[in-house]
Amino acid sequence: MRKTLFGICIVLFLTMSVSAQTADEIIAKYVKAIGGIDKIKAVKTIRKTGKFLGGGGFEAKIVEENRRASFIRQEFALQGMVQIVAFDGKNGWKIDPFGGKKDVESLSEEELKGVVEGADFDGPLIDYKEKGNKIEYSGIDQVDGDDAYKIKVTLKNRDVRTFYFDTDYYVPIKLDSKTFVRGQEFDSETIFGDYKQVEGVYYAFSTETGAKGSPGKAQIIYEKIEVNLNLDDTRFNKPSEPVKAAMPK
Amino acid sequence: MRLKIKLFSAVISALILTFTASAQELQGVKIDSDTISGLGARNIGSAAMSGRISALDAVQEGNRITVYAAAASGGVWKSLNGGTTFKPVFDKQPVQSIGAITIDPKDPKVIWVGTGETWMRNSVSVGDGVYKSIDGGENWTNVGLKDSERIAKILVDPTDSNTVYTCATGKLWSDGDERGVYKTTDGGKNWTKILKGANASTGCGMMSLDKKNPKNLYVGMWDFRRQGWTFRSGGEDANSPSASGLFKSTDGGVTWSDLGETKGLPAKPWGRIAVTSAPSKPEVVYAFIEAEPPRNGLYRSDDGGQSWKLTDRGSAMIGRPFYFAHLVVDPKNENRVFKMGFSMIMSTDGGQTFSNASGGTHGDLHDVWINPSNTDQLIAADDGGVWYSYDGGNRWWKGDNLPVSQFYHVSADNEMPYKVYGGLQDNSSWVGDSSYPGGITNSRWENMNGGDGFWMFADPSDHDYIYAESQGGYINRINRKTLESRNIQPLPNYKEGKLRFNWSSPIHLSPNEKGTLYLGSQFLHRTRDHGQTWERISPDLTTNDPSKQKQEQSGGINPDNSSAETHCTIYAIAESPKNVKTIWAGTDDGNLQITRDGGKTWKNVVGNIQGLPKNAWVSSLESGHFDEGTVYATFDLHTFGDLKPYIYKTTDFGATWTNLTGSTMRGYAHVVKEDSVNQDLLFVGTEFGLWISLDGGRKWSQYKGGDFPNVAVRDVVIQPRENDLIIATHGRGIWIIDDISPLRSLTAETLTKEAAFLQAIPTQQRFPASGGWVNGDAAFVGNNPSDEAVITYYQKKRHIFGDLKIEVFDATGKLITKLPAGKRRGLNRISWSMRLPQPKVPPAASLAGAATAGPRVLPGIYTVRMSKDKNVYETKLQVLPDARAKYTAEDRKAQFDLSLKLIDSLGDMTFAVERLNSVKSNLSARMSKLAADDILAKQLQTASAQVDLLRMKIVATKEGGMITGEERLREEMANLYGSVVFYEGRPSETQTQRADALTNEVADVMKDFDKWLATELKTINSNLTKRKLEPISPLTREMWEKSGEQ
Repeated sequence: MRKTLFGICIVLFLTMSVSAQTADEIIAKYVKAIGGIDKIKAVKTIRKTGKFLGGGGFEAKIVEENRRASFIRQEFALQGMVQIVAFDGKNGWKIDPFGGKKDVESLSEEELKGVVEGADFDGPLIDYKEKGNKIEYSGIDQVDGDDAYKIKVTLKNRDVRTFYFDTDYYVPIKLDSKTFVRGQEFDSETIFGDYKQVEGVYYAFSTETGAKGSPGKAQIIYEKIEVNLNLDDTRFNKPSEPVKAAMPK
Repeated sequence: MRLKIKLFSAVISALILTFTASAQELQGVKIDSDTISGLGARNIGSAAMSGRISALDAVQEGNRITVYAAAASGGVWKSLNGGTTFKPVFDKQPVQSIGAITIDPKDPKVIWVGTGETWMRNSVSVGDGVYKSIDGGENWTNVGLKDSERIAKILVDPTDSNTVYTCATGKLWSDGDERGVYKTTDGGKNWTKILKGANASTGCGMMSLDKKNPKNLYVGMWDFRRQGWTFRSGGEDANSPSASGLFKSTDGGVTWSDLGETKGLPAKPWGRIAVTSAPSKPEVVYAFIEAEPPRNGLYRSDDGGQSWKLTDRGSAMIGRPFYFAHLVVDPKNENRVFKMGFSMIMSTDGGQTFSNASGGTHGDLHDVWINPSNTDQLIAADDGGVWYSYDGGNRWWKGDNLPVSQFYHVSADNEMPYKVYGGLQDNSSWVGDSSYPGGITNSRWENMNGGDGFWMFADPSDHDYIYAESQGGYINRINRKTLESRNIQPLPNYKEGKLRFNWSSPIHLSPNEKGTLYLGSQFLHRTRDHGQTWERISPDLTTNDPSKQKQEQSGGINPDNSSAETHCTIYAIAESPKNVKTIWAGTDDGNLQITRDGGKTWKNVVGNIQGLPKNAWVSSLESGHFDEGTVYATFDLHTFGDLKPYIYKTTDFGATWTNLTGSTMRGYAHVVKEDSVNQDLLFVGTEFGLWISLDGGRKWSQYKGGDFPNVAVRDVVIQPRENDLIIATHGRGIWIIDDISPLRSLTAETLTKEAAFLQAIPTQQRFPASGGWVNGDAAFVGNNPSDEAVITYYQKKRHIFGDLKIEVFDATGKLITKLPAGKRRGLNRISWSMRLPQPKVPPAASLAGAATAGPRVLPGIYTVRMSKDKNVYETKLQVLPDARAKYTAEDRKAQFDLSLKLIDSLGDMTFAVERLNSVKSNLSARMSKLAADDILAKQLQTASAQVDLLRMKIVATKEGGMITGEERLREEMANLYGSVVFYEGRPSETQTQRADALTNEVADVMKDFDKWLATELKTINSNLTKRKLEPISPLTREMWEKSGEQ
């Protein structure tokens, strides 16, 4: 009995110390939870292959490739045609073939904002100071009734990302995004799930994203996540002609 | 040592608390709001009628205007684009009634909200203090005055953002100390009462601050009280003592002078006072004073309140002072002054004369914002929402995007899709669609009556007619097609005087007899012939207390007798679904009566309810669906200042009662409903939300699904065919939880399982349809129910790691699809489109949009399987055709078969194009190994062009991003496929023939290609071999299928 009581007391004190955590401590625990900084930094490139489900049975194949420090390429394939959006750390470009035009085009301001953020290889939390992001612990909130630690990240570009970390496992279960486009706010939310390990690092294999309060959410299911493949510059640099898609046509 | 003991006992106490809390849980299962809230709710509005906005504030930064609209009972709404779009920013807070909103003049990110509206009508809601946001409304902190209930104004010192004044009006229904003027000098951390009323019913009614010398404050103190049967603004009558008064401070509230004796002001007693100092010339002060006519009116001072002159007392100025005591002066012109009222009136001559400035607004204006940068631009708040004027108040645009409608009641018919009916505060009675292709726009709602609206029903015996009422039992029977309306209100007998009808008189439809309808005054009236004749089937069922029937004296200084105070009336009626002769009637003065012989004899059983305070308003009655002796009742005592809910149940015709009130429930109770299938499933609506019990009322959880706010829930009804729970909120319109049947199977046993599928109604494949039209961004559109098959399951814990897989199989066990699963704890809802994968389509110039969806599977029984960790769960899903479908199962099968055939043909076509492309790319590869002038290279080039010509017969190839209009076999077949897939009846003969024709035309091209392969490619391969180059093998079907891309 004494032992049990002692155990419960310890739990109580642990809970008390948990509630006094700082944002840095939570991020440190998150880093540890998903594999530790060494394993995270050991990943130099990543390719995620899966499908996009847009509702109503709409399905497209997607590939997302990232390379350190800030290279990204996203492909979206439908009816044998592949849309490409990419950024090589300097230039953002796209090929959008669905409307009868396959020329390489520059990204608009808001599109570029999106890929620049997507190109941040480790996400906005890791090395946030060097990236010019500001973080703030916003207390415990609930995600669908489960307690979650809230970390508010104000990106260098003023957009706000609020991560909700599971209080047991310290992985993000939800992200609220507030994005400013020409002075107007756009709020969206993303639910993360199906975390699985690849080369010692946990990744969410499913995400669900949509405008806040809207019933329509787009889902992404990754079937395969590969790391440290050879992804050369040609995949990310703005080409004079369309480059070959990573997925078979 | 003492400290240690203290610490230890604190730990033990905490442990005990923890154990107590967990004891309420079911074997370690957490049952709370989130267990049940996975069933989302959708708001169908409407913003057509919108609802009362009690205050607003706005700020122009650069060229953009940010607007905050404070709803009387629907939270705070923020617009970053001058009102084009709004989003609710206060939904997570425990109250939704707003009295005041103020943007810090120095920092537009700092917003102050005073909760609790102070336009003190009978239906006014409740607040819980002052809130502050420092991030433009994203997050809020309650910074105090939690017991004030209502706040009329918050003013920020323009020179010091930490100095803020709050005009706390206070409790309406009871005495209360937390009222008067409060000041903080540390940004809200601490508040000091700087002006106290002379008695416990006097609070701050309005407040103004000198913009140039913010230590000068003007305050109208207001003595007021409402009871269920009367209201006073000021004293009991025009000459009774009242503590209302006008006060001024010149030192930021340290000292005050009573301006009551100042030269020019009328003799007391006074009622509500509106006061404001002109921003551009603060020594000009206007005060509207409620007093006995002719002393009432608008007074102006040009010397900071030392002397006054009466300037106007026109009827538009003096009407309903307790509701309209608000003045706004142009920020640039001290002589341009607006007075709120039934119509907003404006003076441009310093208050001497006024003209109407409310144009085509709803009326009942409460606030106006004048853009300091362009004083012709106004934004106004009234009982019908937010309005915009660009010509100084002559003409107004209606805001169509604020679904803050204040419903009292709701009902539904059995149309497909069903329609909802409901009456609203000051906004008539409306019928709206529960779903409509393209979304439920404002135009899908139709006004059917007038006045304030309450109960409303489709006539179950003649669907062409609707019953609706306005205040005081003024019931109409309305033809829904012609809108012809007939008043059918029961009338008094010879020398009987007045029938007493409540503000919201109960109309009740018999659950046993179609066409029998009840209406309550002090008597229970019944009609069986659409109101042609009424029987009185009861004596006066109320206390008939004469002291509560002095409505003609209601109002205080000025009379206000709108039927809102009519008392000693029947308020709730319920006939037992098990016996037409068992009828319950509850009154607003605390009687609960039952007859078991169809009205011959009545018995008041309220005295049998232990613990219920006397004279409690019977706010709703619900007869049990399973047992004649059962009734559920909610009682409301907020008109006595008691905001707690009271919910009771009897199973023995009222002899004994069980208290079902939940310990965590907040707010006075408006409605209780028992599910029509599972008698343990109960719903209660209170002033602060919706509560659900899964165990017959022992434990309650607040429903928070689909961002449902903490808003007053006045009524709920279950549409029996769809099992939808329709929620009438007083402040946020109508919400629908689609198909609540999963809640019926959420039993104690289910809740202890790791995961389980839950029962749902069979899925109908709703017609694919499109409707509506573009609305722009500035209009509210209500969401439709999902047109997919909704699958509901429960999981005890959130799913984070590993796969959670959900698969759907057909009757033969063939896997149809894999679905992404919901992760949340408790109930999860996911949906299956019921569509097969979209067809394979060959690449071409542009997307074949018509072929981006697969055909819907045939109606039938499907198996859903969930694999979670190592466990597998299964359920059956019944898929039915749309109940409105005129086509047969054979027709549907013909459509499905033709869709599959076209998918096959498109697949063949895709292979054909890939085959052509494989040869073409091989030709290019060989060419690259030869010199450009090589004769073989030229031969290969010619061959490539020939192959391309064949490809161009199949697919459109013109690019450039323009409307090329080019259609080849691919585009034609995709369009044909689209037209077959999106109409699920029998395809037309011409479609069937066209499918064959196109299939044959593709086959013809491939025959030509086969010929070309046999002749031209043969020659080319022979030449390649001679040059030691690899001959070309065209892609085979087998190879293509193996590649996994078919």
